[in-house]
Amino acid sequence: MRVGLLVTCLVDLMRPRVGFAALELLERAGATVVVPPAQTCCGQPAYNSGDRADAASLARKLVDEFDDCDYVVAPSGSCSGMLRTHYADVLRDDPAYAERAKALAARTYELTQFLVDVLKMRADAVPGTFAGTIAYHDCCAGLREMGVKAQPRALLAGVDGLAVKEMAEPETCCGFGGTFSIKFGEISSRLADNKCQHIVTAGVDAVVMGDVGCMLNVEGRLRRRGDTVRVLHVAEVLAGDGKAR
Amino acid sequence: MSDDLLAGNAAARAAILGRVRRALGVVGEDAARHANAERYVAEHRAGPRPAMPADLGERFAQRAREMASTVERLASRDQIPHAVARYVDNLVVPASLAEQKTRTGVCWPEFADLDWAGAGLAIEPRPTQGHDRLGITGCFCALAETGTLVFTSGADTPTGTMLLPDTHIAVVRADRVVSGMEEGFALVRAERGHDWPRAINHVSGPSRTGDIEQTIVLGAHGPYRVHILLLG
Amino acid sequence: MQVASIHFKERAHEKLNDAQLQKNLVKFKGKFVEARRRALTELDDADATRDYARDLRQRGLDALDVWLEMFERNATARGATVLWAETPADINRLVLEIASRHGAHKVIKSKSMVSEESALDHALEGAGHTVVETDLGEYILQINDYEPPSHIIGPALHKSKEEVSELFARKHGTPRKDDIEALCLEARHVLREHYLTADIGISGGNFFVAETGSVVLVTNEGNATLATTLPKVHIAISGIEKVVPTLEDIATLMRLLPRSATGQSISNYVDVLTGVKGDGEFHGAEHMYFIVVDSGRTSVLASDVKEALRCIRCGACMNHCPVYQNVGGHSYGWVYPGPIGSILTPMYVGLENAPDLPQASTLCNQCGIVCPVRIPLPDLQRKLREKEFEGGMRPWHERAGLKLWSWFAQRPALYGWASRIGVRHLHRLGGARGMIRKLPLGFGAGWTDERDMPAPAGRTFRELYKEAAARNGALR
Ligand code: SF4
Repeated sequence: MRVGLLVTCLVDLMRPRVGFAALELLERAGATVVVPPAQTCCGQPAYNSGDRADAASLARKLVDEFDDCDYVVAPSGSCSGMLRTHYADVLRDDPAYAERAKALAARTYELTQFLVDVLKMRADAVPGTFAGTIAYHDCCAGLREMGVKAQPRALLAGVDGLAVKEMAEPETCCGFGGTFSIKFGEISSRLADNKCQHIVTAGVDAVVMGDVGCMLNVEGRLRRRGDTVRVLHVAEVLAGDGKAR
Repeated sequence: MSDDLLAGNAAARAAILGRVRRALGVVGEDAARHANAERYVAEHRAGPRPAMPADLGERFAQRAREMASTVERLASRDQIPHAVARYVDNLVVPASLAEQKTRTGVCWPEFADLDWAGAGLAIEPRPTQGHDRLGITGCFCALAETGTLVFTSGADTPTGTMLLPDTHIAVVRADRVVSGMEEGFALVRAERGHDWPRAINHVSGPSRTGDIEQTIVLGAHGPYRVHILLLG
Repeated sequence: MQVASIHFKERAHEKLNDAQLQKNLVKFKGKFVEARRRALTELDDADATRDYARDLRQRGLDALDVWLEMFERNATARGATVLWAETPADINRLVLEIASRHGAHKVIKSKSMVSEESALDHALEGAGHTVVETDLGEYILQINDYEPPSHIIGPALHKSKEEVSELFARKHGTPRKDDIEALCLEARHVLREHYLTADIGISGGNFFVAETGSVVLVTNEGNATLATTLPKVHIAISGIEKVVPTLEDIATLMRLLPRSATGQSISNYVDVLTGVKGDGEFHGAEHMYFIVVDSGRTSVLASDVKEALRCIRCGACMNHCPVYQNVGGHSYGWVYPGPIGSILTPMYVGLENAPDLPQASTLCNQCGIVCPVRIPLPDLQRKLREKEFEGGMRPWHERAGLKLWSWFAQRPALYGWASRIGVRHLHRLGGARGMIRKLPLGFGAGWTDERDMPAPAGRTFRELYKEAAARNGALR
């Protein structure tokens, strides 16, 4: 089984260790992982900003790069959701590529979803350890485009020493929204602040989620407020390097 | 009276329908589309529906209570006046609304024959002008799914009687309780098809508002309370 | 209604910093959400019901001309007059004409969003008529000098009871009441007199029914029932898209509308009104007019956001929208706020007059998930964003930034080189805390005004992976 790791641009640029954690988890679960070396961006910023032409160029590039993979897996609900639910529309003027994109979309998964639903990874096979309590935030695209909800929680239950505590409104958007966070900084910050309030009220050591974009938003607001709750990607916690800062 | 209004409006009508057809990509008159529509209407197809229990009367009573109506079951029609008297006597209203507790009111003509005076009530079989405090009606039918009373307007079923008084008492015959809106509409078609009512009013409990801070207050414009006498 | 959607950002800023409004919004938030969730479980198969409702609304739109003609035929056969309005101005003109024909003075209204589009109240008052809004929320706004509504179901939900209490005391000249029940009672007394003395009742129309030529009105207060039962003349105004084929279709929609709106199993009053009253009837309109309104609907129908016309105005999308919950309805600057407003407002008043609305969404899709007729609201927002981008309506720096990013992303080697330099630089900016308080050259000020920007780790995944692979001798 050839699994193509879609690293995602934010992991590549901001949090490379999330990519390595994903790699380790996939290999442990028995997958043969390939990392197409020329991958960059899935085109989501362009698509969500109305620039469909550029989004389509990037989509074609990605389809070419991952075409020979049995699966595409991303440590991101947002980027996997882009492939799964939007590529067909991005490429709607290019029927040949749209067909290939649809086929690829059907083989595309978010990381924890792939580990649980396809590779049948069990909680006791999760390598990570973590001393403390965490709350899981359901990032929007993972939750509503990919159906990621139970999978990360199932795996987190297998992390030694870790206790999961639900915060209020775990499904409410953190306010990131890609370029929205800059175009409507004030509203975005308020949404982030609401999320931070719930995190702090939950009294956890760390908040864990599946998208680096949302992590940056939440962490940025937490730090500006002066809060020290850690913000971690679910892959880092599962792979066991959640302790390293 | 409206003829010249209509004449002046023909251009707007043509323009709007023209734009609709262009938007839909329709060219020319298309008899098939009209035939399809007629066929769909004739089918009266119902959508997915929640299952109803066998005892529709019980379900109706339960849902009506959930909609803040009160329900009493009566065995026969001649018990109605005493049941009304009892209900009125037992009403607890705040001092500011004391005048709502009254033995005087109006009813639909179908209840003119009842012995109201024998129960100590002064009930007149006439429509209300809006200043009566107690209104007694029958109903066209009732819906078990939502605890709803259905009224069809007519000469003998004046709408105001269920709408304007502070207290509305409705008599529902158990054999007129049907499952849901679909059956209610089917009954209207069957019984009033040739004399379609100006109004089919579905009423589920007292008039209410949540417009101030989402706090529910009963008696917004219509009745403060709806009491149902379920007969049989 | 004046269109103020161009000022979305400024207004949102104001509202985010309005302590009273924020308190009111917190009270509002959540109640409808939980109630809706619970109410939908009463339907044995809520999802199938929603699919069915989506399909039946779409069926109505796919042959809209046919259904409208059928509606007109049946309405006319039962004694009503069907009039067509192309523009908001047409609506007002037609209503004024009807009023003068009947020598009417006092007009009572139950809630009609379409009449908000055309500012009908002002037109009527301008022509010397007395207008009284009867929906309690609309009434509150009317006596507060026509404050605009902030929500399509609860137009005055942004106000606290203290604000209403102060308003009533001032406008009614009565002593201040401090509980909500007393306030409602006071409004009841004032409005009851108006019902009994009005010449014309104007309603909106939740739906038109083609099969019978009827209008369906849904309220909890019963105000629409009163306003259409007591006056001699009834005018029902609504958009052409509100036509639904059959009464059975209404039955399905009524399983969803109240549940999605307020979490009720059914609204207290659901009226199906057809034609004029019959012989010997005491109550009921003697003259019935329908005004069916285009006012932008046909251009939506011709566009790629046409699915928005399925909307049944339940308000669930705004109740669940995190942006709406925080900035409130007034920020959107026109009749329809929230996610559905972000589509309809630009379509009805022009994208150039509401350029921020399709952008002011995180695309979190909470709205799309709850919409009872499954309108893919974020997809439609994206479609409008495309129009803005293609029409050159976005600021140059936004376009330039995006183009630059996409240009690099299409050139992996250059991208690798530039990103290696970029992340090192930004990493250094993050210092010991790993947080950037302010980005250079004013970039991303929207981000850093109230947030730190976590600094990158310093090296990219691509370069680290290449090194690791080289070490392991597995470089492809
Ligand atoms: S778009 Fe959907 S959720 Fe929003 S008001 Fe319309 S029907 Fe309701």
